[in-house]
Amino acid sequence: MAHGEILAGFLAPHPPHLVYAENPPQNEPKSKGGWEQLRWAYERVRASIEELKPDVLLVHSPHWMTQLGHHFLAVPHLTGKSVDPIFPNLFRYTYDVRVDVELAEACHDEARSAGLVAKLMRNPRFRVDYGTITTLHLARPQWDLPIVGLSANNSPYYLSTEEGLGEMETLGNATRRAIERTGRRAVLLASVTMSHLHFREEPSVPEDMSHERPFSMDAYQWDMKMIELMRQGRMRKVFELLPQFIDETFAEFKAGSFTWMHAAMGYPEMPGRFYGYGNVIGTGNAVFEWNLARGRNAGVGRAHETRDGRRAPGYDDSRFAGTGAAEAHDWAGPGAPRVHAEPPWPPR
Amino acid sequence: MPVVSAFLVPGSPLPLLRPDNPPWSRLASGYRTAQRSLHMSRPDLILVYSTQWLAVLDELWQARPHLAGTHVDENWYEFGDLDYELRIDTELALACVEAAKQGGFSSKSVDYGGFPVDTGTIVANRFLNPRSDVPLAIAANNLYHGWDETFRIGEIAAGTATRLGRRTALVGVGGLSGSIFRDEIDIRNDGIASSDDDRWNRRMLSLLQRGDAAGARGAVPEFAREAKADMGFKHFAWLLGGLGGRLHGARIHAYGATWGAGAAVIEFKV
Repeated sequence: MAHGEILAGFLAPHPPHLVYAENPPQNEPKSKGGWEQLRWAYERVRASIEELKPDVLLVHSPHWMTQLGHHFLAVPHLTGKSVDPIFPNLFRYTYDVRVDVELAEACHDEARSAGLVAKLMRNPRFRVDYGTITTLHLARPQWDLPIVGLSANNSPYYLSTEEGLGEMETLGNATRRAIERTGRRAVLLASVTMSHLHFREEPSVPEDMSHERPFSMDAYQWDMKMIELMRQGRMRKVFELLPQFIDETFAEFKAGSFTWMHAAMGYPEMPGRFYGYGNVIGTGNAVFEWNLARGRNAGVGRAHETRDGRRAPGYDDSRFAGTGAAEAHDWAGPGAPRVHAEPPWPPR
Repeated sequence: MPVVSAFLVPGSPLPLLRPDNPPWSRLASGYRTAQRSLHMSRPDLILVYSTQWLAVLDELWQARPHLAGTHVDENWYEFGDLDYELRIDTELALACVEAAKQGGFSSKSVDYGGFPVDTGTIVANRFLNPRSDVPLAIAANNLYHGWDETFRIGEIAAGTATRLGRRTALVGVGGLSGSIFRDEIDIRNDGIASSDDDRWNRRMLSLLQRGDAAGARGAVPEFAREAKADMGFKHFAWLLGGLGGRLHGARIHAYGATWGAGAAVIEFKV
């Protein structure tokens, strides 16, 4: 069997506002646009996926939150209507999705072999969560590629951030092995927002962009710092700062999607292609691509050793040293921005 | 008209989907006892707050007159589907929206076909209102509301129902200790995940049984922290608010585990 590979991974957040703003025929509510910078960023995602011609899209979604292990959609064809319980006024989307069940089963088997609790979701009446649907629509609105949907186990919330993200790393490694074993050419989608602090009330016209801005200066600065590191390809530093970033900005990265994706890719120490950033009810959303296929072809990569001893592809980040923002260590100490905002109740 | 009955009930679908499993059959049996009590109280409204209906922007109130369908739980889908049919007291829901706004809470009604009704609400309605002959009003769990806000919203909801002349059954849907077994188990041997959680659950149940509102209220922060109580036991805040902050004792119809988490069917004296 051909040796499968991960072609690229995308940071692909899922505000339903972006689908609402686009007015696709599948979505009932209609808008007058809005959030264009993020939607234009997704145009570049769509173009890249078109060029990559993957066999399958894998998406890890925080809005399929599972308590008992890591779950995989494993029904060949799922249809239905996804209504966002938080924004039902914006997102009531009729979906029709094909699932790569063979790959889902391989992911499941590899995850179990790695010691994780894993389950295959085989109930044909299951309603696919709006995070999965939104990210898939924004990345590939044709719906012509099969997908694998992964749940976000609640371990980072139930245990500790570090323990939970450790599980996501194991899941990412298992995902990579499954892709390689099944011969798939795969694209990964991490369906998460960066800073996740948000306003509590919605404007009467949701797409009135005069209301849209970062929740706070601190949250914005944190997002920019992390984006700059990703642009420079300093991913090791990104992951060093990740727990603090999560803690101080309530970043949705806590759900593990970003860690899952980078672990699957072998933590490539390579610059991400930055496609855009925007706020949605104050949250920070960035769209990025790490194109492993292009990195391999360029041949300028410097592999770095991952925690499981694998040599990962990557560009030599020394070319980017010193560019952009201040050194990351400036942000890890007492001078780092602090975000003071009320967390959900009960306090963690 | 006053509140005529009040209950705290678990939202896990396991006792409904597998009532034949001994640890869960006790909870199902307790639910059936509560159903009889609720029926005897002759309510013309069931006012529901479910920890599983999550909101973050506003306080949401279900206002669609009729909701029906098949729901598949995102965790426990392998145990079966949840058919549901809910009738909503839309007049009351809209009145609660206005009353909550006047009380300082940004509030909205939701009225959308295909809206994903949460598992807890469906389970409670199936057990307590099996023919769906009593209409509901359902309030969401806003994640940013703490004890005081949730208490106040319960108070506002019950007060609005009284003002509109409803005989009201209050139902808070949620669990006790929140730790689950994180591996596959033999469901026949389900039990509370730890002895510490069990002790905490029993302590809280004892306070409720005695009608010690102040003691129960005082114990909640520690209960939430030590036993990872479901959503900080906010469903009790909502219920206590609806009861005007007073307890007169309670009957525990069932106490048990749902995959390690604490669950109890509790009927309060009103």
